[in-house]
Amino acid sequence: MNRRDLLKALMGGSALGTFGGLQALMSIPAHAAGDPSYKALVCVQLFGGNDSANMIVPTDSRYSAYQSVRGVLALPKASLVPIGAQYGLHPALAALEPLWSRGDLGVVSNVGPLVRPTTRADLVSKTARLPDNLFSHSDQQNLWQSGGSSVLGRTGWGGRLAEALGPDPVFAFGNSGRLGIGSARSTLALPGPGSDFAPAGLASNWGGHPARKAMLQTLASTPRSNKLMNAFAGIQNTALSRSASLAPLLKVSPSNNPSEILNGPFQNLSGALDSDIARQLYQVAKMIANRQSVGGNRQVFVVAQDGYDTHENQLTRQGDLFAELGPALAAFQAAMVLLGMEDSVTTATLSDFGRTFKPNSSGGADHGWGNHQLVIGGAVQGGKLHGSFPELALGGPDDFGVNSWEYQGRWIPTQSVDQYIATLARWMGLSDAQVLSLLPNLGNFTVRNLGFV
Amino acid sequence: MLPARHAAPLQKGLLLALLLSLAACGGGGGGDSSSPADPGTTVPTPTPPSGLTPPSEADAQRFLSQATFGPTQANIDSLRTVGFKPWLASQFQAKGNLYSTGYSDAIHKAGLKDFCKQFSGFPNDYARNNCWREYYSAEPLSREFYRNALYGPDQLRQRAALALSQLFVVSNAEVEGTYGLREYQQMLADKAFGNFRDLLKSVTLSPVMGTYLNLVNNSKADPNENFARELLQLFSIGPCQLNADGTLPGGQCVATYDNNGVRDVAFALTGWTYPAGGVSPWGSSGWKNPTYLRGQMLAVAAEHDQTERKLPGGGTLAASRTPEQALDAVIDALYQHPNLPPFIGKQLIQHLVTSNPSPAYVARVSQAFVSGKAYDFGSGVRGDMQALFAAILLDPEARGDNKNSDPNYGRLREPAQYIAGMLRALNASSDGANFYWWWGNELGQIVFNANSVFNFYPPDYPLPGTDVVGPAFAIENANSTLARLNLATAMLYWGGLQAEDDRPGATGTQINGSNWLALADNPTLLVDSLDKVLVTGGLPANIKTGIVDAVGVWNEKNHGATWREERARSAVYLVLASPEYQVQR
Repeated sequence: MNRRDLLKALMGGSALGTFGGLQALMSIPAHAAGDPSYKALVCVQLFGGNDSANMIVPTDSRYSAYQSVRGVLALPKASLVPIGAQYGLHPALAALEPLWSRGDLGVVSNVGPLVRPTTRADLVSKTARLPDNLFSHSDQQNLWQSGGSSVLGRTGWGGRLAEALGPDPVFAFGNSGRLGIGSARSTLALPGPGSDFAPAGLASNWGGHPARKAMLQTLASTPRSNKLMNAFAGIQNTALSRSASLAPLLKVSPSNNPSEILNGPFQNLSGALDSDIARQLYQVAKMIANRQSVGGNRQVFVVAQDGYDTHENQLTRQGDLFAELGPALAAFQAAMVLLGMEDSVTTATLSDFGRTFKPNSSGGADHGWGNHQLVIGGAVQGGKLHGSFPELALGGPDDFGVNSWEYQGRWIPTQSVDQYIATLARWMGLSDAQVLSLLPNLGNFTVRNLGFV
Repeated sequence: MLPARHAAPLQKGLLLALLLSLAACGGGGGGDSSSPADPGTTVPTPTPPSGLTPPSEADAQRFLSQATFGPTQANIDSLRTVGFKPWLASQFQAKGNLYSTGYSDAIHKAGLKDFCKQFSGFPNDYARNNCWREYYSAEPLSREFYRNALYGPDQLRQRAALALSQLFVVSNAEVEGTYGLREYQQMLADKAFGNFRDLLKSVTLSPVMGTYLNLVNNSKADPNENFARELLQLFSIGPCQLNADGTLPGGQCVATYDNNGVRDVAFALTGWTYPAGGVSPWGSSGWKNPTYLRGQMLAVAAEHDQTERKLPGGGTLAASRTPEQALDAVIDALYQHPNLPPFIGKQLIQHLVTSNPSPAYVARVSQAFVSGKAYDFGSGVRGDMQALFAAILLDPEARGDNKNSDPNYGRLREPAQYIAGMLRALNASSDGANFYWWWGNELGQIVFNANSVFNFYPPDYPLPGTDVVGPAFAIENANSTLARLNLATAMLYWGGLQAEDDRPGATGTQINGSNWLALADNPTLLVDSLDKVLVTGGLPANIKTGIVDAVGVWNEKNHGATWREERARSAVYLVLASPEYQVQR
């Protein structure tokens, strides 16, 4: 409560509504009690393979090992933003430090797709069972989005989770790949703030316009035997119905609705928050603020940021991306606090893979495997690192490379994507049995809940 | 038989409200004084063989949906008199530039640290004020892309080049330099009907690709793996072993190569730098030439790895070698790899004909790749692209009056195809502008500006709730599907797209619906005619009746002078909106 009061004070304390005619209904006092019946999971996809070795850097005695191997990619120790005594954040993620101090930010270390617990000894003895097509962007994205170890999966865990939880689709504001595809449900991809999200020119009641509009609806709602046509019609049908209900909410932006309270934490989407990822999270925040009109009480959102495939010029490129990501995540969390929803909303990152600990000759790093993830929210066991940090030695116990020319520091994950997802899914309300059904591969792991949330 | 480069002169008196902005009439192809010279393309006149059984009207229309940016009634009639094979033969021989030759390379030759601020050679204020757009971005190429798609006679080469640009992706999202991006796209078009080996080698040696995937300036010490990995994974053999019919052995993904295989290729392709010609404002950086995007990359033997390496699919690369020898060995290993024909063949089928081809169809196309011969086309050399495209387009699974009995058949028209197809059907005058940043973004496909080397959409995107894939469905969603409708609304109801007020020669885009307007007295005839030209497989009776009824609501008695225009607008809008049109079958 103190945090919320503080934030309200910072923003002028006025209880303005979120949009249009719902202002009275959706005022702050109603939110202030929180909403224990509601939970949302916000998946942040960092496409391209985020180099998390420079996201979370050990600042204790391990720093020298980090510095010597990372070479040109090593971040100066003094530039790191301390989170606890052992680790520092990338300087461009400084906006997230207060979340760590408050216990709302956790790090889940060295996560990646696994068939079963896997060690370097398994690789050396050639007895390891490995997921399909390691180090391939598209395939590893599929595994992060599907769960399991086969790239042939057609559905995403987000879609399956949504189907297990209630009536809503997965709501996506950025590229979601197959994350939101359920066995019978599609992702609902939605536009950014200010967008009209409406079929144009159909409002007239004159002449043949109503008949044209009615026929458009018929085209969209007529079942077809051809599967592609049927799928296209389904998207049209969803678009026509959802645009009618969601367009006013989605259109709200700082410029067309200066009184929107979420403009405060998002600083009117200006300055460091003038970014695509901030705009996506602003949309998610509005959806959560207006959850009663959006749908049910268990919702999965997807946002995405492109550009993490930093084979070259990594220091600049990742720094630029983090300079957008850090403020955006911090603003979103501030928005949840403002809404009193911080305990009901958990944000979690996903990324194709980590990158080689050893840099290449282009000032970048190549495709790796295990990767640290950020989890944020009032329910998160924050202020700590969950799992074991890889030993920063080429050819060491965590290195995938068996032959010396392959010692690149592609870390063998010590926690699987399935465990990571299962933990989030348990928090969303699935039983242990339901989680096993969601992620069949999880049965290969003794620990089915990593306990970070 | 194909439309002239410029829109036909408008027939005064027939257009009325369908053509709200006449000011720019005839602006379709050229007249842009700030742009490089308009490219010229020639296509030989096909000779129909004697004794030809003409294709049916329905099959001709389906063929043109697969092989061009969209049929018109005139194209259909012409194709029927010529026949498929002579048409293909003439299209294979089409020569010329799809893209203008005059794009300036000054950004990399002037040696300026801040080119747009410091350059003194801009031809006019527009170029100075739009420096990034005109010198760095792919937007000028997008304008040419759409003008070519609307008016160019070499339609098959253009469709093929669009498909190839989505297999061998480079993107303005990471590579800047209009002149260089032009070279790359023109190269794809030039080599579309040659041999695959030559195409793959040219892609590899392109400084644009070299920049995009970091092959350029890659040295033997700790080489960057980026290009090597995508060369294997996306440009040639793919990560999973394939049967010749494109299926997975045992239904599982068995790896085609491992990570060491990627590193072997990365080492084998070290020692290439930019072509000569660039001038760096920061001075020399040793063996690395300054950025220059015209021509092919240059070998630097001293920076080339000299360790023995394994080649994809087996074979060994000897330790002592030149960069050129190593490159040829890698390209040959991929070219001879059994995965290559089904991996590339199936994706080209998906781009032109259907998203879910039968294994037998893929096998026939693979066989054409291997033998270099199909339907009397091709040189008999493995990888002959004329044989490949002929095998794709003349296959029994591609041909026929309709495929309505197959629930898996067809492909979603990708946005570029939808835009161009609509404008061709509406006989539009267009300068090709506004389909890059605005409409391309809205529809999810900004040509030459994909988010990553994985293209706008993956070939295996699953259609939810089904057992089939639909690649372009990965970018089709509630918002983009409304944008498809709204582009039609802009064209039909809002006078098209306005000319940009500052760009010399800009005309915007306006339609000429006179041929449809002429049929408006009879809603059934109007909808039938649209159906025949646009809808592969045809509208089913209930849908057609519904559209006819909606069109017929407009009448002379109640709706004033524009009732015919309103009928034509309603008819075109609803046909374009129909899933029957949107899914090319």
